[in-house]
Amino acid sequence: MKILVCISCVPDTTSKISFINESEFDKNNVQYIIGPYEDYALARAVELKEKDSSIDISLLNIGLSENDHLLRKGLAIGADRAFRINANPVDSKFVSANIANFVENNDFDLILMGKESIDYNSGLVHFLTGSILNIKTFNSVTYLDLENNENAIIKRETETGIEKLKAKLPLILGCQEPIAEWKIPNMRGIMSARTKELLVVEPIVQSSGFHYKKFNLPLKKTSIKMFSLENINDLLKELKLK
Amino acid sequence: MASLVFIEFDKNIINGYTKQSATLASLNSNLVIGVSDYKDEVYLNTLGEYGFDKVYMVNDFSNEDKIFNIIRDENIQTIFSSNSNNIKEISSKISINFNFPILNNVINLESINKPKTSIFSGKAEAEIQIDTDKCIFILNKNLIESKEFNKSTKVVNLVTSVNENNYLVLEKVDNKEDVSLLNAEIVVSAGRGLKGPENWEMIENLAKKLNAATACSKPVSDAGWRPHHEHVGQTGIKISPQIYFAIGISGAIQHLAGVNSSKNIIVINSDPEAPFFKSADYGIVGDAFEIVPELLKALDN
Ligand SMILES: Cc1cc2nc3c(=O)[nH]c(=O)nc-3n(C[C@H](O)[C@H](O)[C@H](O)COP(=O)(O)OP(=O)(O)OC[C@H]3O[C@@H](n4cnc5c(N)ncnc54)[C@H](O)[C@@H]3O)c2cc1C
Ligand SMILES: Nc1ncnc2c1ncn2[C@@H]1O[C@H](COP(=O)(O)O)[C@@H](O)[C@H]1O
Repeated sequence: MKILVCISCVPDTTSKISFINESEFDKNNVQYIIGPYEDYALARAVELKEKDSSIDISLLNIGLSENDHLLRKGLAIGADRAFRINANPVDSKFVSANIANFVENNDFDLILMGKESIDYNSGLVHFLTGSILNIKTFNSVTYLDLENNENAIIKRETETGIEKLKAKLPLILGCQEPIAEWKIPNMRGIMSARTKELLVVEPIVQSSGFHYKKFNLPLKKTSIKMFSLENINDLLKELKLK
Repeated sequence: MASLVFIEFDKNIINGYTKQSATLASLNSNLVIGVSDYKDEVYLNTLGEYGFDKVYMVNDFSNEDKIFNIIRDENIQTIFSSNSNNIKEISSKISINFNFPILNNVINLESINKPKTSIFSGKAEAEIQIDTDKCIFILNKNLIESKEFNKSTKVVNLVTSVNENNYLVLEKVDNKEDVSLLNAEIVVSAGRGLKGPENWEMIENLAKKLNAATACSKPVSDAGWRPHHEHVGQTGIKISPQIYFAIGISGAIQHLAGVNSSKNIIVINSDPEAPFFKSADYGIVGDAFEIVPELLKALDN
């Protein structure tokens, strides 16, 4: 049973976002993390491996060498080896073309991703990868278990509720909480991660049909209007609720 | 130029998202094609009012061959869609097969070649240049006021063979709420300031009075006070209602990431220094257990 976990490396959720000359994200003083949704995906993969040690977990990131410490962190959490496709992840079509190409060259039974990355938030890489590879893709997956290495039992959130499904592998899943609890690497994990493989792979080219022209910050809310217990009616009128 | 809109429903009528998509499609093309997986021909015939020239009825959106045929036959160049998962899935298939660029979180389409998207969970915006004459736009809510049109709609029934799925639905649990969080125009949300699950009755009452959906912060759903699907924010659902009430929520940056595109944010918090006030349009400093009952009373009068 081979599982691939695809992680994005993104600015910490508390980071201040700014751009240099409106044209480039300013990486100075920004701390990077494994995308929070992929943290859930990885944690679930490791939990499954704890139950069945024959499971093999590979990690994959499309990114530059500045991400290697996060791949090491993923190895310390419990992945068996890591791959980095050496390119700036410019957009979701480029990323999915590269993930698909990687999967075609290395068979996997299950590909876990997050529901979305938190930088460019496309929420599309899983569906695009599934479309290229013709592998059924589910997103917003909140529960995952395996059955005889053949099927996955999953729950996914839909627009109207929650669906429990049994689906044949291979599958691509976009994960979210409460699929697992985030894991923190322990000392043993950190030590063993040092001897695990981190392989660098060269990218393939794929254009997406658009490019970013400029970046800016949204307009700030200018002023807040305060109300109190005494004039609650005025607030309701202002909001046209009365 | 022809464009396509996947039609979505809320309680058997088309939802706000679809109306918005149809308006944008009408403003930017001379032929608007709809695809519906809800086969009510009589109702679909009336959709000219929202700008549809022609509507294809299909069994479900996962039958890509039929939908690919529509793209080819109608020479579709732009697609306007919502961000629900089944529509993102078929849109991705179209993007790969026909080489359409695809953009999510579109917040501005005043110029169709230069859309703006929201990035970094609403903390920044990008201006984009599309390099071809085709594109799939996945729109944010409330991007434009939907308009009425006076077209007549032709409805075409595509008889599709039932798709052979390699999966089986074992169980379906529908959310109990009357108003769905994603479609709601008003959302009443509460956080750890409410102290415990037993205190949510007043929140639910307020929501009911306002025909609003309820939401909560992450620690509240983590603690099991409220179901997980109510949790909004960076790791939860992202919403953009007209009115968002944040009651006893501190306004952590990860919470804001899910609600910062709401039109009007009203914060009720006992701590005047709570960070949420910095991102709010209206505020009340005070104890939720006094303010909310007073709001309920005021709405009754
Ligand atoms: C990677 C990551 C992702 C995260 N994702 C999310 C997310 O998606 N959504 C999310 O919400 N959080 C998320 N968080 C958590 C976030 O950082 C905050 O911890 C959380 O939002 C705080 O929830 P809260 O405001 O309910 O609780 P608190 O921060 O404890 O705030 C409670 C507030 O209630 C007020 N209060 C207390 N008593 C009263 C009263 N009687 N009347 C009125 N007000 C009162 C207090 O003044 C305080 O401001 C995430 C964190 C991380 C690290
Ligand atoms: N640069 C990347 N490298 C590896 N996986 C990625 C990368 N970017 C996105 N992904 C995966 O694709 C999912 C969806 O991302 P997105 O479509 O960018 O919102 C993420 O949760 C990741 O699992």
